[in-house]
Amino acid sequence: MSKKQKRMLYRIIASAVLLLAAALLPLEGWARVPAFLAPYLIIGWDVLWRAARNISHGQVFDENFLMALATVGALCVGEYPEAVFVMLFYQVGELFQNCAVEQSRKSIAALMDIRPDYANIEVDGRVEQVDPEDVEIGSIILVKAGERVPLDGRVTEGSSTLDTAALTGESLPRPVRPGDEVISGCVNLSGLLRVRVTQPFEESTVSKILDLVENSSAKKAKAEHFITKFARYYTPAVVLAAAVLAVLPPLALGWTWTDAVKRALNFLVVSCPCALVISVPLSFFGGIGGASKRGILVKGGNYLEALAHTETVVFDKTGTLTRGVFQVTAVHPDQYPEEELLELAALAEGYSEHPISRSLKQACHEPLELRRVSGVEEFSGRGVRAVVDGKTVWAGNDKLMEEAGAQWRPCHHTGTIVHVAVDGLYAGHIVISDQIKEDAPQAVAALKRLGIKQTVMLTGDAAEVGEAVAKQLGLDQVHTRLLPADKVSRVEALLAETSAKGTLAFVGDGINDAPVLSRADVGIAMGGLGSDAAIEAADVVLMDDKPSKLAEAIAIARRTLSIVRQNIGFALAVKALVLVLSALGVSNMWQAVFADVGVSVIAILNAMRALNAGKT
Amino acid sequence: MKKRFKLVDLDCANCAAKMEEAIRRIEGVNDCTVSFMTQKLTLDAEDGRFDAVLQEVVKTCKRVEPDCTIVI
Repeated sequence: MSKKQKRMLYRIIASAVLLLAAALLPLEGWARVPAFLAPYLIIGWDVLWRAARNISHGQVFDENFLMALATVGALCVGEYPEAVFVMLFYQVGELFQNCAVEQSRKSIAALMDIRPDYANIEVDGRVEQVDPEDVEIGSIILVKAGERVPLDGRVTEGSSTLDTAALTGESLPRPVRPGDEVISGCVNLSGLLRVRVTQPFEESTVSKILDLVENSSAKKAKAEHFITKFARYYTPAVVLAAAVLAVLPPLALGWTWTDAVKRALNFLVVSCPCALVISVPLSFFGGIGGASKRGILVKGGNYLEALAHTETVVFDKTGTLTRGVFQVTAVHPDQYPEEELLELAALAEGYSEHPISRSLKQACHEPLELRRVSGVEEFSGRGVRAVVDGKTVWAGNDKLMEEAGAQWRPCHHTGTIVHVAVDGLYAGHIVISDQIKEDAPQAVAALKRLGIKQTVMLTGDAAEVGEAVAKQLGLDQVHTRLLPADKVSRVEALLAETSAKGTLAFVGDGINDAPVLSRADVGIAMGGLGSDAAIEAADVVLMDDKPSKLAEAIAIARRTLSIVRQNIGFALAVKALVLVLSALGVSNMWQAVFADVGVSVIAILNAMRALNAGKT
Repeated sequence: MKKRFKLVDLDCANCAAKMEEAIRRIEGVNDCTVSFMTQKLTLDAEDGRFDAVLQEVVKTCKRVEPDCTIVI
């Protein structure tokens, strides 16, 4: 508890004791006035003072004024104990609310506590701790085991494993060796690392993420706008209703003036808008905080809202659903063993740096002895011919096989096919293709379970390749052979198909798809770790490159939104109920205070559940 | 120009909303957000007269929510 809060606690205790004494003492008539006024002033002087001051500033309908008016009114009609109790209860509620908000603020801040406090620099053989902001590009910093990497850089010495959980939500540690890039915010788990700094602190990943999450409360969701607007009309309306209630019924229905005024005073207490106004942004903030803990960065409450209403998900293929790296996926030999066919092809292509040659070389288990190869000739766009161990090996596409005079046969697999012929005889073929990410099928299945109406894939690839991937993953639609501009028009067409409330999310790797990312209702970039372009262009950033995180993001968004709805519904319902009961004369001022502060505390506690959203 | 300021003793969410509303109406302010959660004020104002606008913002803050101070 802060000093301020402690002082308030003492005031509450003092006032409560005096109130109890005043209520128990056998006081009669005017003696009651000072006895109750003392605890009232102890607990309420600051409310009265603020009410008076704010009116002089032209701020009429604030909480202080309403509470002051209600309790002073109660004192005037002779309800001394009630006036004191209401003020006491109000202050207790405020204190509790204050603590709850501070607590939640702290737990959210703790979540995002990835800011490094210092960086170790070696000066004349001694290690010095300096502010990360003072470290220049090119300096060598030391990261000891257990420390947080303070700045983005490249490892020059040492190897270790890094815990990236704070950034990606991924619990599996990532190994690093000299030459690897390291990203600020990760925790060094084992060895000592020397890192050459490549980014100043302001440009480092950690600063960018913190900036993004802090700024996220600036982009308000519709629900937030609704509630602040609502509060602006709600308070004056209820105050007006209170005035009417105090004056009309005694004139028209013959109520006593005291009775009418008492009911009206209840209205004033209920008219405070804080419960509503606080719970909505707090829920969104909690949801965004909870998502960032799981490696999902959401740039604002509005995007969380849009994500919850996702109807169509459009994926880019390469790098999003597939790894974007070519690999040998099948070897179909005709007369040689598999290993040998692969080796022959890899040797023939041994001197080439073509991506296909590289994937062939990667697929071989044994190191290649390139001195076995001679007389290499490349046929652009078709393949190569080389002499390996005295045999003439042809490796390439079907056209090259025609030239070699080999009887080639087609393959039922999709991908790039490398045919091999040895001394004019067909030896078989090797299939090279981009691989689907491990969790991509799960990702699509999870989206279907969440009730996403359409899953679409867009790709610039050939029809067979794209369709094969789409079929394997169970996607609803696939559009192939698209140029970047075609992708935009496709997304526009799909946008037109979504219903008025539904939204379209586009998921890409953030490279080359900035126009589509911005055109979609929610642009989601994957593999944000280390990619500035992705973090800039997208509305939502999935820090690691797992497409399955998308379903998780949507689940978090939906849960947050349902908490927001619960809070709005609950607060409005309780307030409406107490208003009706007050008008009928059934409810008293204590219940009215509960409808104000009690409801805000409950709403705050409920909002905090958003922090844990997405745990299933 | 966009700048962020820390707010001290911003105690109620509705006051934050009211402050934001009032600051937006100041001439020269392009955009403004008062975040109750992060206790921060983000002010986007015209480049040339940022300081003058900021003065006005401080004054407005004093009027709407006298308990709250902007750390400059």
